[in-house]
Amino acid sequence: MKNKILLFWIIVALVIFSVAMIIIKPTKLGLDLVGGSRLVLEAQTTPTIAKITPEMMDSLQFAIENRVNKLGVAETVVQRQGEKRLVVEIPAVKDLNQAKKFLGETAELAFKKELKEGSGQWIDTGLTGNDLNRANLSTSSSGQWVVDLEFNDKGTKKFAELTQQLVGKPMAIFFNGELTSAPVIREAIIGGRAQISGGDNGFAYEEAKEMVDLLNAGALPVPAKIIEENTVGATLGADSIEKSKFAGMVGLGIVMLFMIGYYRLPGLIADVALVIYSVILFMLFKMVPVTLTLAGIAGFILSIGMAVDANILIFERTKEELRAGRTLFTAINAGFDRAFTSIFDSNMTTIITCVILYCLGTSIVKGFALTLALGVMVSMFSAITVTKNFMHLIFGTGDLKYPFLFGLKKDEIGTAYAASETKREKAKFGVLD
Amino acid sequence: MENKIKIHVVKYRWLWMCVSALFLLPGIITMIYASITTPSHLPLKVGIDYTGGTVLQYMTDKKVDNDSLTKIRAELVKSGVENPSLQIINVNDGVTNTSNSDIIAVRTKFIAEDDTATADKITSVIKSAYDNSELISTTSVGPTLGKELFKNSLIALSLACLGIIVYLSFRFQFDFAIAAILALIHDVLFVVGIFAMLCYFLNVQIDGLFITALLTVIGFSVHDTIVVFDRIRENLRYYAKKMSFGEIVDASVNQTLARSINTSVTTLITLFALYFFGGVTTKDFILAMILGIAIGTYSSIFFASMLIDFLRDKQNQPKRA
Repeated sequence: MKNKILLFWIIVALVIFSVAMIIIKPTKLGLDLVGGSRLVLEAQTTPTIAKITPEMMDSLQFAIENRVNKLGVAETVVQRQGEKRLVVEIPAVKDLNQAKKFLGETAELAFKKELKEGSGQWIDTGLTGNDLNRANLSTSSSGQWVVDLEFNDKGTKKFAELTQQLVGKPMAIFFNGELTSAPVIREAIIGGRAQISGGDNGFAYEEAKEMVDLLNAGALPVPAKIIEENTVGATLGADSIEKSKFAGMVGLGIVMLFMIGYYRLPGLIADVALVIYSVILFMLFKMVPVTLTLAGIAGFILSIGMAVDANILIFERTKEELRAGRTLFTAINAGFDRAFTSIFDSNMTTIITCVILYCLGTSIVKGFALTLALGVMVSMFSAITVTKNFMHLIFGTGDLKYPFLFGLKKDEIGTAYAASETKREKAKFGVLD
Repeated sequence: MENKIKIHVVKYRWLWMCVSALFLLPGIITMIYASITTPSHLPLKVGIDYTGGTVLQYMTDKKVDNDSLTKIRAELVKSGVENPSLQIINVNDGVTNTSNSDIIAVRTKFIAEDDTATADKITSVIKSAYDNSELISTTSVGPTLGKELFKNSLIALSLACLGIIVYLSFRFQFDFAIAAILALIHDVLFVVGIFAMLCYFLNVQIDGLFITALLTVIGFSVHDTIVVFDRIRENLRYYAKKMSFGEIVDASVNQTLARSINTSVTTLITLFALYFFGGVTTKDFILAMILGIAIGTYSSIFFASMLIDFLRDKQNQPKRA
């Protein structure tokens, strides 16, 4: 009995801890609930890049992260997926099309010279955006928007040599494969600074600003394409979360009433255990942390179903043992011990399925598998520890005076074992005949 | 124990086989028929998750009828949108939105990132029909990715089955594992069959969540079956000498009957609550689970237990001869 009271207080402490954590820690909600975009970018092989290496992916991720940060939206996520994919999550972006274009731009800056004078054919000089230190937005003396370039040491040297070579000739600046301007070099430039003007028409402000941002964020080492997009408006997200909450409450409420109606006092105990179960599980979601999505909420609600099932299995078994004539204490113990193998085996198969889903599934499926697996594990704890503890504390070791507490009639209760059971035997149980 | 037998599983073995056949046949016939007659040659209509494509969803402030949908489709084709397919999704009333509104889903081929014109075209067509419509979601899946998802889903399904067989062979016996897997296939086939009919007759499309639902059905089906098998295993330990295998199966099914029904009822309560009050996006997903749990309960009581007895009979016959 002492142990049981100790366990009771441990459970109480756990609940208090969980409630505190739930209040302190923020809930991580998925983009389908708060609204936002989820993009999957895939690195593309080109004639010059035959294979995507992990190093390329590292620098691609770095460059994409830089660009995503430039969007000025909080809580963005850039993650690797598989060998050549990046998942980008952007909550509540204003102009998604603009953002998508911005992410996918290669930001290739190349300085080229003419193959033959006046031919209009341009060849690479080896000087590229990689030789830049940084780019700045500024205005020219005539008031047009221009992009100031500042080369790094290597770039400064290369640029000086190149301009020396090309005195009196044009040097072309290509941005993403497009000729931006082709000024004629008047003299060698050794200071490591250059300026890109937008040709005859000049740059629009947005154009120059985007170029500066892209150059500063760094060029993409490989071209990347958006192969999957999932955008949910904030209103739809809020609507879904409201509805799921409401549906969950209604479902849980009816299930609780059913449990009390059918199993009486044990049903009420199961309901309390169910609330404790939900609180602990929710605490785990916040601690891990698990990002809650719609599918995740479905997994959560389903795991409630399984938690209830564990209780039903135990109570049905306890009732059976009572009918067979066991005393209350042994019947409760037998109910738990006999039901345990089915609870364990059935939950193990669910966990096996969840593990496979988590390893192979898409991110939606992953969220579902994670919440369901966590739920099943906590439900075993809740049914076996919490419910059992409460049952023992409430019913004690005495006789069952009021069979209706279990939803049984007095004449249904057998007495076959009552006389012969000793204290020692109460802990063990055999065949039900 | 003998006086509490309410359901005779073993005695009416053939009856339960016929009932199962009745459950499964319409779906199977639809699947075969759809595979032959539809242009895609698939038993189910698959969404963009598996074929690649783009779906744009618009929330309107009025109820949408089929006539205006036909008009919108014609408008879209006129403005150069390739092969658009439109669908009305009814929004649940009452909980958060009291106004009459619907969702129009427009599905087209994959719209690439640099092609903003197509999406704008669709938006302007929808806006000209319903001024106060709002683009609420965009989903786009590249064509190669779709195939990959489909392949991965099948691999996940097969691996889950394999994992369950191994676990059950280890914890029970091999023929129990086989019976459980057959019951599982029975349940999955039923759900897929019903969805094949929904796809064929009501133009429903299955998406990535459908596979999740199937996997849940698998989990539940096995969960239910195991509870019955666990009871058979336990009773075998004590009664193997006194009773025949068939009698033990019957007794075990009846002993676990209350539990099977109560569990299924409580789970169905939560699922129905989700179906009627939950978000629009997960409706088909929930429906698949409701079907799966209902059939899973039936199969754990009648089909799986009948099967294990049937398998044991087959094993024992040569020995008797």
